[in-house]
Amino acid sequence: MRYSRLKIIFPIGLFIALFLDGSLSNVFAGHLFSYPYTSVLHLVLLWLIFAIFLDDRDDLAIGIWSTFVGLVFDWYYTGIIGVYMIALPLVVYLCRQIKPWLDLNFLTLLMVYIINLTIVEAFAYIWYSMGHVINSNLADFAVFTLGPTIAVNLAIFVIAYYPMRRLYLSVN
Amino acid sequence: MQKFFSNRKLVIAIIVLIISFGLMSVSVAIRDRKSTPPLIQQFGNDVAGAVDRVVALPVNGLQGATNSVSDLLNTYQENQKLKKQVDQLAQAKVNAQTTSAENKQLRKELKLNNSLSDYTSVTANVLTRTPSSWMNQLVISKGATAGIKKNMPVMSQSGLIGRVAEVNQTNAKVELVSNTSSTANKFAVQITNKSGKSVNGIISGYDKSNDLLEMGSVTSNVKIKKGDKVVTSGLGGTTPKGLYVGTVASVKQDDYGLASEVEITPAADLSDLTVVTVAEQ
Repeated sequence: MRYSRLKIIFPIGLFIALFLDGSLSNVFAGHLFSYPYTSVLHLVLLWLIFAIFLDDRDDLAIGIWSTFVGLVFDWYYTGIIGVYMIALPLVVYLCRQIKPWLDLNFLTLLMVYIINLTIVEAFAYIWYSMGHVINSNLADFAVFTLGPTIAVNLAIFVIAYYPMRRLYLSVN
Repeated sequence: MQKFFSNRKLVIAIIVLIISFGLMSVSVAIRDRKSTPPLIQQFGNDVAGAVDRVVALPVNGLQGATNSVSDLLNTYQENQKLKKQVDQLAQAKVNAQTTSAENKQLRKELKLNNSLSDYTSVTANVLTRTPSSWMNQLVISKGATAGIKKNMPVMSQSGLIGRVAEVNQTNAKVELVSNTSSTANKFAVQITNKSGKSVNGIISGYDKSNDLLEMGSVTSNVKIKKGDKVVTSGLGGTTPKGLYVGTVASVKQDDYGLASEVEITPAADLSDLTVVTVAEQ
C-alpha cells in the first residue's frame, strides 16, 4: 500500500475509533460500567499510539488531528471543552519525545500505552475535580476507574497490535 | 527564577494549561444556561451526531441481534410467567380507562384544563454513551427540531432514567440519574404508602455500589415500607407528575438521627438503554 493512502486512512480511523468508543460503551454498558467499577474505552488513544510508534516516517499530522478529535470528544460527549482537547496532544507530544530512546517491540509499546492511559485518565480526573464537575477522592479513582480501565484497554491492545503492525509494515 | 522564565517550552506548557483550564471553567459556568450550547457548538454536535449514526448503526444492530438470540432462549419461561400476568393486566387496564375517563370529566367540571400529570412523549434512539467514568450521559437521536427542550425528563420503558442536559438541533445529551456530579439536577418525587398517605422529597444522590437512588432529609412521620412505589411529584414545574421512578428499598436514619433517608431501587436498568422516551409537558 502507498504511504499517501495512510494519510487518508489515519484521520478516518481516528474518527471511527472516537464514535466506536461511545457506541461500544453503550452496548457493553452492563459490563463496562458495572458499579462500582468503571472501565473507559480508549480506542482513540490506541489509534494515536499505534500511529506514533509504528509509523517510521513521522510524516502524519498526528498532533493537529489529536487536538481536533479531542475537541470533538469534548463537544459531543461531555460538553466541557478543553480537557481531552489538551490531554490528547499532550500525550502525542510526550510520545514523540520518548520515541527515539525506545527499542520498539510489543512489550515496550505495552508499557508506553499503560503510562499514556494513566496520563489521560489522571489529567481528566484532575481537571474535572478542579472544575468541580466531579467530587471523587483519589483512592476511588485509582481503584475503581484507573485499574479496570487499564485492564480492559490492555486486552484490546493485545488483540489489535499484530493487525495494526501489519498495516504499518505494509506502508513503510 | 531567571532560568525558569527563559525556558520557552515551559512557558508554552503553562500557557496551554491555563487556556485549557479557562475553556473548561467557562463551559462549566455556562452549562446550565438556557441558551447553551452556542450555535457553533450545536452545529459541531449535529455534524458529529450525523457521522455517529453511520458508525452506531451496525454496532447497535449487532446488539439487537444478540439480544434477540438471548430473548429466544428465555422465551418459554417468560411466556409462562407472562401468561399469569396478562389476565390481571386486562382487568387493570379497563379499570384505569374508566378512572381516567372519569378523571377527565371531573376535571372538565372543575374547569381544570391542564393538570400536572399531562404530557406528550417523544421517542428517540440512544446513539452513544459518553466513554468516561465521570459523566453518565447518553446522546439521543432527537433534538430541538423534534420539540425537545432542556430539563425535560427522560424515561426508558420501565421508568425514569434522567433528564435532558443539552439540546442540539438533531440530537440531545441526557444526564442519567446516576450522575453524581455536583451540578446535576434533582428530581422532586413522592412516595405513597399502602394506606394512601404520601411523602414528598427530592432525590439527593445515587449509591453507586448498590445501584440505589437516595432521597435524603425526610422528616415526615408517615410510615414508609419496603416496596412502596415512588413517582415524580410534579412539583417544581419542569417534570410532569406521576412518572414511575422505582420502589422503596429501605428506610434508615441519617447521620444525625434527625431525619430519615429513603433508598430507592430504580425501575429502569441504566446499563441497558436502546430506546428512550422524552416527556414534554
